[in-house]
Amino acid sequence: MLAFDPRDPNLVLAGLEEGKLSPVEALEVLKHSAEPGQARPVGAQRAEELSSASAWRLKEALAELDSLIGLGKVKALVREIVAYVRIQQIRAARQLTCEPLVLHMIFSGNPGTGKTTCARLFGKIFREMGVLEKGHLVERERADLVGEYIGHTAQKTREQVKKALGGILFIDEAYSLARGGEKDFGKEAIDTLVKAMEDFRDKFIVILAGYRDEMATFINTNPGIRSRFPIHIEFPDYTTDELLRIADLMLKKRDYRLDLAARARLEFILSRRAGPGNQHSGNARLVRNIIERAIRRQALRLVEKQNLSREELMLIRREDITEDF
Amino acid sequence: MVVGRPNVGKTLLVLSLAEYLRARTVDITFCDPYGRRELKTYAIGAAVLDLVGPHPHQTRCLQSIVVGVPAGKGRRVVELVDTTGLVDYIHKDSQVRKAMAQTLEAIRPADVIVHVVDAAEAGREGSGPPAGAIDRQIADFAGSRGGYFIVANKMDLPDAARGLARLQRMFSGYTVLPVSAVGRTGLREVKRHVLRNL
Repeated sequence: MLAFDPRDPNLVLAGLEEGKLSPVEALEVLKHSAEPGQARPVGAQRAEELSSASAWRLKEALAELDSLIGLGKVKALVREIVAYVRIQQIRAARQLTCEPLVLHMIFSGNPGTGKTTCARLFGKIFREMGVLEKGHLVERERADLVGEYIGHTAQKTREQVKKALGGILFIDEAYSLARGGEKDFGKEAIDTLVKAMEDFRDKFIVILAGYRDEMATFINTNPGIRSRFPIHIEFPDYTTDELLRIADLMLKKRDYRLDLAARARLEFILSRRAGPGNQHSGNARLVRNIIERAIRRQALRLVEKQNLSREELMLIRREDITEDF
Repeated sequence: MVVGRPNVGKTLLVLSLAEYLRARTVDITFCDPYGRRELKTYAIGAAVLDLVGPHPHQTRCLQSIVVGVPAGKGRRVVELVDTTGLVDYIHKDSQVRKAMAQTLEAIRPADVIVHVVDAAEAGREGSGPPAGAIDRQIADFAGSRGGYFIVANKMDLPDAARGLARLQRMFSGYTVLPVSAVGRTGLREVKRHVLRNL
């Protein structure tokens, strides 16, 4: 959590709104920063300024992004996009020409590399910046969009779009829409989606996600898609080292920790299972599954014992870690 | 600007004051935490029925009324701002928290701060200290500058006289005015203090 800077009363007020400060504490902090001359009149906010609460939540969302392990390039790109949107908004407020904001994106990367997490964060960020009204994430896949008979697909797709209005429509394994040849209904889903993107131009953002190679083929065979999705983000596989740090973080959040032998075993499993070319390569989900299994096994090991120490309750040992989960 | 805990009678005080200042109808501007504004015209009686109630957090936005006050030979225009009640703890409703943040934001530039406390509550047998942490904090925050005084409201209720004495002891050094917004007493003093600080 971010610390409260008493010099910035806006952050204090946002803290109060977020339920992190009680009014008593907020007043206490404000007392030390009370300079009545500086206060803005109520409701007189300039269009180009973010409201105090929004600025606070935006900072938090970006901090959350930074707290993700690895993903260096992705983080840099997100900051670039955020800066771009911000400047476009300010330019618009000052009556400078600016291009319409087209923020539809393509995420490519293996499963468990942080695509959904990033999409969710984008929702938060864009809501606070005023780009999206609600910023919620609607996660869908082929089966949710494609219908069973002629005409059904357009109807189903439009329904999902409607649910996503004000937020983000996240289509996982989007390339599957283009599979199955000419007669497949997937094509109709794409057409409907593209139409909806024109109709509700500023109302929602579409993110197409999937494996890198399949996505590349998908985009290249559908030139219309490429031009409508100006932002491409690649999610690289995690290295074994990053996966271990993810494991540490997950365990720390749950108040557990690994002993040395357990850590070595985890590293061994990860480097074997997650080697390049393997379908689990760079997969944070694999880490989570191993850890959740380990926590259950630790519980089993301890449940019969008497007089458990705090230390014992926290420690994951080598024998707790197993490959099959 | 009128501040205080929930349910001490801030809204009723504002409306009574408007009525005392010879307003028949009031134009109330509602300004919610999102910056939306809405103007409604009420007869005073209707406003009381609509905006005042027994439950805490009846008021969830800034409600301001502009009234003319006879002062000397001329008239002065005063904007009375009614606010959301402030509590000691972190409120569970995000709407209320937002509204409280809006209140704190508006406190800073206000010319006069009228801090309303419940005298009957303060005087009740065995009720602990006469005012809570938030009241102390408001007094500390606003009392350091001009244009601040305390209104001990609900003087029409039985325990209020003792409550007033306790409040005066606790907030010695500040002005504490006994008022009954229901009984319309003490409003002249309030008017005088408001005008003096403008």
